[in-house]
Amino acid sequence: MQVEKARIEDVEKIEKIVEKNYGCRIDLKKYDVYFNKKQEIFLASKSLNENLSKSASYFGLCFGKLKRGEKIQLTTEGSQIIGKNATKNIAILDDENIFRFMEGLDSKAFNLVNCEDRNFVIIKNDEDFFGSGLLRENYIESNVSKGRRIIKSMKKI
Amino acid sequence: MEIKFPIGFEKKFEEILEDEFPKLEACLHILPKKCIRVNTLKISKEKLKQKLEKNGWKLEEVSWYENAFFVETEENLAKTKEFFLGYYYIQDAASLVPVLVLDPKPNETILDACAAPGSKTTFIVELMKNEGFLIACDVEPKRIKALSFNLQKIGATNAVVIMMDVRKISNLGISFDKILVDAPCSGSGTFISSYRVLNFWSNHVVEKLSRLQKELLKACSKVLKPNGILVYSTCSLDPEENEMNLEYAVKKLGFIPEYFEVKGLKYRIGLESYGKINFEYSKYSIRFYPFENQTEGFFVCKLRKQG
Repeated sequence: MQVEKARIEDVEKIEKIVEKNYGCRIDLKKYDVYFNKKQEIFLASKSLNENLSKSASYFGLCFGKLKRGEKIQLTTEGSQIIGKNATKNIAILDDENIFRFMEGLDSKAFNLVNCEDRNFVIIKNDEDFFGSGLLRENYIESNVSKGRRIIKSMKKI
Repeated sequence: MEIKFPIGFEKKFEEILEDEFPKLEACLHILPKKCIRVNTLKISKEKLKQKLEKNGWKLEEVSWYENAFFVETEENLAKTKEFFLGYYYIQDAASLVPVLVLDPKPNETILDACAAPGSKTTFIVELMKNEGFLIACDVEPKRIKALSFNLQKIGATNAVVIMMDVRKISNLGISFDKILVDAPCSGSGTFISSYRVLNFWSNHVVEKLSRLQKELLKACSKVLKPNGILVYSTCSLDPEENEMNLEYAVKKLGFIPEYFEVKGLKYRIGLESYGKINFEYSKYSIRFYPFENQTEGFFVCKLRKQG
């Protein structure tokens, strides 16, 4: 997958983007941070052997992806890392909508916490964090990858 | 359609199991108990139990590992919110055993030599508490993809997946504190999950795999640190893939076999003999059959590299 170690200033930039978009601080310096060509961010324990970063198929946890306009699309795991401390851009979904989100379908939040339209929002149901989606005129576009989708029903909103 | 063992299989295991053979045969008509392992990197056992019981699941703790449950539910285990979130991993309860014997610790350097699709790899990550360094290897691109997916879902930051033939593992120039060789095998112990494995089973296949397993053991012995631990396991019941490879590891590769116990699991020590061959070191290994725990069958042994 070919990842490259991020420079300290890049790591600080990600921390600032997280704070700007989700209203919380994250200390990424406890990890070694890597990027791939798609601008995906990977968090690796400091004990990993950097020499393997060029040839590995998996090298640390995918936290999210940097997007234009200083935005960040979080993976499920990324949302779980920062979710509890986040204060902005959080969409709370009911049970029906959370299943739509997991199926990769558009869903609707019953509560939006400090959300900006056309930004990525953390998806929350009950006390759990499911990833992020793009908020567009009150609808949330699911970012769940095909492999992770759970097909349970095909109800339309 | 009546399900039967292939003729060669029946003959072999009648000889090995004698009076107990009908118990093995009866396993053709039952399924293993459904099992989930709690991902303690993301959620506590108590919290997950509470969530799943709220959904009407009946959970029974696996007697050989406290953070795994046998599950009774009508729900599809792979279609729940908790599964999506990576709060649990679905696996056969037998495959917990090799990792429990390996006993991974945080800050160790560990190799999972034949890792995909990742049930044991993700368990190792969990027991290492996401600290230290784990290399997981496999050769097939599709299986590598599944392995990487499962590591992401478990939340692994201390793992690296390398697509390579483990017989070339010394090329990496890394030595390990512990190695798990859960070797590619005939899978004869897994017919309880899917009797299709029996379609591919033959003594010829078993012998071919036995040779490959020896090569894997040899390659891994070279990258294990002195006094390091190697756990060798298969989900095969065939002595050629098990006790014979243990003898090879001790006599030809110079490993020191070690005793171990797995509390709460019903098992027996390895075979003392098979046909005309006597096994000198089988008392250092365990094997269990599908009828003993209503899981897949397994063989496990623990070896230490001389200091």
